[in-house]
Amino acid sequence: MYEDLRSATVHAPSTITEYASIVSRFPDAQNWAGGTYLMSRPGFYPNEGSLDIIDLSGISELQKITRTDRFVEIGAMVNAAQMLDAGRLILPAVLLDALKSIGSSIVRRQVTIGGSLCIPDVRLSLSTALSVLDSLAEVKVYQKDGKCTTRWIPVYRLYDKEGKLLNFEGKMLITRIRIGLEYGNFQRFMQASDPVRNMEEAVILAFQADRTPNALGKVRLCITCPHKVFFISKEIISQLSGITLPIVPKMVRYITSNLRSELKKSYTNISDLQLERALRMFESILHELDTIYLQS
Amino acid sequence: MTLDCTIDGKGLSLSVNSNKPLLLILTDDVGNKSLNSNCQGHNCGNCIVLVNNVAVLSCLVPAFRLKDTNIQTFEGFAKTRQCRDIERAYQTLGNMPCPNCYASKTLIIESILQNLTGDHHEGKQVTMPLRARTRIPNSTQEFDEKNVIKELSLNTCQCMDTSEMLQIVELALTYRRRKNVRRS
Repeated sequence: MYEDLRSATVHAPSTITEYASIVSRFPDAQNWAGGTYLMSRPGFYPNEGSLDIIDLSGISELQKITRTDRFVEIGAMVNAAQMLDAGRLILPAVLLDALKSIGSSIVRRQVTIGGSLCIPDVRLSLSTALSVLDSLAEVKVYQKDGKCTTRWIPVYRLYDKEGKLLNFEGKMLITRIRIGLEYGNFQRFMQASDPVRNMEEAVILAFQADRTPNALGKVRLCITCPHKVFFISKEIISQLSGITLPIVPKMVRYITSNLRSELKKSYTNISDLQLERALRMFESILHELDTIYLQS
Repeated sequence: MTLDCTIDGKGLSLSVNSNKPLLLILTDDVGNKSLNSNCQGHNCGNCIVLVNNVAVLSCLVPAFRLKDTNIQTFEGFAKTRQCRDIERAYQTLGNMPCPNCYASKTLIIESILQNLTGDHHEGKQVTMPLRARTRIPNSTQEFDEKNVIKELSLNTCQCMDTSEMLQIVELALTYRRRKNVRRS
């Protein structure tokens, strides 16, 4: 059936230096992390696509989790199950919830953090959670002339407003993700519908804030609909930052209606169901903040 | 590429394209009939096999990550003692999955039992998904319904409801633990 198909050549570097040398010889080679996205694309096999694959699973530098006093660094090839397993004590709650939301443990063993961030057109739970944590990704860009530049870029800046991965001039490789340990004491991760099985209805929301007895600070909010929405609004964040608790119902309605109009204005293709889900999730977080305040 | 691996106890040397999914290798090259997935990686959960005794979705594993691995499909797993624990639970409760999802649901239950008992009958350690495999705790874990439901939801077939599946998992877990106690 597939007799005429040429088999792709698989390069398996064991260090970043080896990777660089392979990239300089085969600039069009495709990076292969967990493969869950690549293999689920329609027409993945058989096809006449890239004939060179760089298998990143052998690079030991990409498989480490390091913790210092100020941050945790996670290698791009660490999978979701390993993060859940190793990170119970060191990773923020919003990230752990995002990891738990990824299918079953069978799928989590195959999803890598770097691979998830590098999906070109779909934003899922990990990129949403990492965006609200202000985490940084170490991005290496290899030029065709052999030069390599390394930069730490905030995860939310890797994507445009629709969640598409921005184009870098050259071959891009995410090697590490750095998550600061000074995050807020109130974190929530919510997901409606399975974003892989039901992309047209799914909504993902991540929120974190520093909740002092009477006010909110350091607010971060990210709303994602796979394929179409990657929403981080400075306006909503500034409305919430410094707000006094409890947030009165009138204020909740005001901020929610602002969120509605911003989402509608920025994303004409967002469905009514996704819009309603995003707003209800947001409202429920504000109500929860009130509940906690009133209980304390 | 030449792929040397063991499939259901048989050592095979197959000539396959390096990025060919394991699912297609098993159905086209090996002629396995227990797999019936058509979702192309969208998690229908019907293509589960054990690679080095770790459950994986075979549509998401390319050939180049399978060198020297021990692959067990349901056809092979059905002959093992581990499978008997699950089949006994089916029989005792008089309830079993439909023929379409029987193989994959049984392997999902096996994966849950392995996680809960730390019973990880060893194969050779290999690269991804093999390298991707997590540390399976040695100690036994609590039966957490939420987690078990999440694991079971990987298969989208609606032939059984969740409470029936939970009963089966719980009973199979009891059989497995008893067996482990007897063995130790």
